[in-house]
Amino acid sequence: MIRVNELLKQASGTCILRGVSFKVAPRTVLGVIGASGSGKTTLLRCLNGLERIDGGSIEFDDVRLEAKLSRTEYARRIKELRRRVGTVFQHLNLFPHLTVLGNIVEAPIHVSRAARSEAETEAYELLESVGMKHLAQRYPESLSGGEQQRVAIARALAMHPQLLLFDEPTSALDPKRAAGLRSLLLTFIERGHTMVIVSHAIGFLIGLADHLLYMEGGAVVEYGETDRLLNSPSDPRTKDFVQQAE
Amino acid sequence: MTTSINKTRHKRSSRHYSCFAGNRDPALPVHKLASFTIVALVGSLWFTTVSAQQVLRWGADPSGGAPYVFNDPNHPDQYIGYEKEMVDALAAAMGRRPEFVASDWETLVSALQRGSFDVIVNGLEPTTDRAKQIDFSNAYYVFELQLTVRSDEDRIRALADCHNRVVGTLGNTAASRLMQKDGIPWRGYPDPVAAYRDLELKRIDAVLMDVPMEMYYARPNPKFKPAGQPFSRGTYNVGLPKGKDKLKAEVNAAIYKIIRDGTLEQILRKWNLWNDAQAELQNPIRSGQPASNVAYEITSASFNWREAIWRLTRAAAVTVLIAFGSMFIALSLGMPLAIGQWKGPRWLQWLCTVYIEFFRGTPVLVQLLFLYFGLPAIGLAMPGWLTALVGLGLNYAAYESQVYRAALTAIPRGQWEASYSLGMSPVLAFRRIILPQAFRIALPPMTNDFVSLFKDTSVAYAISVWELATAYRELANASGQFLLLGVAVSLFYLAMSLPMAHLARRLERRLQRKEAPEVAHVEVGR
Repeated sequence: MIRVNELLKQASGTCILRGVSFKVAPRTVLGVIGASGSGKTTLLRCLNGLERIDGGSIEFDDVRLEAKLSRTEYARRIKELRRRVGTVFQHLNLFPHLTVLGNIVEAPIHVSRAARSEAETEAYELLESVGMKHLAQRYPESLSGGEQQRVAIARALAMHPQLLLFDEPTSALDPKRAAGLRSLLLTFIERGHTMVIVSHAIGFLIGLADHLLYMEGGAVVEYGETDRLLNSPSDPRTKDFVQQAE
Repeated sequence: MTTSINKTRHKRSSRHYSCFAGNRDPALPVHKLASFTIVALVGSLWFTTVSAQQVLRWGADPSGGAPYVFNDPNHPDQYIGYEKEMVDALAAAMGRRPEFVASDWETLVSALQRGSFDVIVNGLEPTTDRAKQIDFSNAYYVFELQLTVRSDEDRIRALADCHNRVVGTLGNTAASRLMQKDGIPWRGYPDPVAAYRDLELKRIDAVLMDVPMEMYYARPNPKFKPAGQPFSRGTYNVGLPKGKDKLKAEVNAAIYKIIRDGTLEQILRKWNLWNDAQAELQNPIRSGQPASNVAYEITSASFNWREAIWRLTRAAAVTVLIAFGSMFIALSLGMPLAIGQWKGPRWLQWLCTVYIEFFRGTPVLVQLLFLYFGLPAIGLAMPGWLTALVGLGLNYAAYESQVYRAALTAIPRGQWEASYSLGMSPVLAFRRIILPQAFRIALPPMTNDFVSLFKDTSVAYAISVWELATAYRELANASGQFLLLGVAVSLFYLAMSLPMAHLARRLERRLQRKEAPEVAHVEVGR
């Protein structure tokens, strides 16, 4: 269970996140929607520890992040947190000097200290599950955007995270490839992954996200089950956003 | 006589000129004006040539040049020395005005050939090698060599005891040739001060110098003592360009004159340089005998190509040692400097910046001189090659740190973030993800720096390290073979730098291939 409570994040004097609260139950998918600059990506970066929070708390089972923690203690807990959270960045950030296979086995071998042969066997399985096994020896630069994304997903999954974070996964995909990604993520739900997907494409989240969180100006406007929030939003701002998106 | 003629000529030509300049008559015919101009021009040209004959331009190296010619410690803008006084006397005897041209000992002969001055008067010995390039007057001084050691030295009593030691002297002198002939390890210095200082600092075991220098620089120093008696006589003669027989006759006559009238003896006595050997040289002349070529043993070593190539090869080995050693220091020290300046706490950033700006902002030559001559003051006396190696290493570390920093900061932040989110520590992320990518960016400028470092080893010349540039200068000066040796030395440099550049290019290509094995199938907007 992930609990985010009254999360505050400031940068150079302005509040980027102001009192964000929500829960993500295991084996569910949360979609975070909102316009650009609403704080969606910052929220995600707080969840994987790339941004230090300035107030409130993030709880992931027994790991609790708070602003008041000392530097070393915060760093220690972030390490714990990152062990459970995998991230697929908007710009993917694949390692260009490593092959597809190298990208995937890098962390299992050097962070989890897995044997190379085991790590590679598992990497091939992962690549197969995302339909990329035949490209294992290629370098990222020679792959298409969609292919690179699947490598990035496999790379995140290789560390067996309990929670997968996606930042704007459809931003570089054409509709056909977006549909392909959607069906891939649906298989993840069946396998019991918990996911937080940040996206401005509401259509992509329908049938994928159990809950939606609509943000505006760094604050949560509305949080609820996907169908309820889309069909009968209680806040007029949510209504506006949903209507515009359609 | 000549002087008075010149004066009249001068007056006449200036009168022409003033007449021309003062004439404001607009009706002056053009051809008349032209002829006036020509007369004035020719007159002034003639005047300049005559006045050039009137001076005696003499070349010598005043740096560490005591007691021959050197800067007066009390009036640093004036030159003094026994040869300075002697040239004054010679010029007076020749009816000329002496004009001193400060030059460099090693290149005196080539400068004379180029016409930078009329004569060399700088304690120059007439060797067979030099005699191929220039002419010599009759001798004016008989010198001997004196070996000097530290006062606590008890094993070196003569040059023969120095076969396993290193003896300092000036390059391309009777002393250096004598030791080369006898197979004694020696090191050439640009001036006696540096040689005696290294003796004091125990970088060398003895110094062999002409007696005049030994008298001036070593004898008053209680830390030194002479080892054995002066030996190996030779003469100092005035060097002249080939074919200037009239000038040579004039100089010989002048030497004859100042010996006969006692002027030279007076000067030598004043400088404490008068001894029996001088009397032996001068007495026959004074008793009216014509100046004969006094047969003294002239230490000469004629140029030997096989030995030259061997010495060049040794110099090349030293160059390689210095280049690789200092590159190793530069590469390994550059990284902590780059990281300190980039990610360190503020005080460390500041410290690294000070280091980098100091070493980039001051000439490497000055840094080497400081390390070599300055550090012994605090008890740290390194041998020359090590000084060059460390000095160049420290200097290039500043440059490499900037190459690294540029390469490191060129790696997108997303690479760090992806590493962190996979659970990597900063050190692991740096080592496995950032560094390999940065290395590829840094490789071309690093290669470039290494090649330039290779050539920069030549500044080690300033601290008497026998590397390629020093070897070239000394061998070429000894033989006059600037062209041939220059080609040989260039080939040595190229033989070392080209394979390196080639190796770097191959490495670069391999890294590039690795990154993009197939260029096709790339989509925009990933």
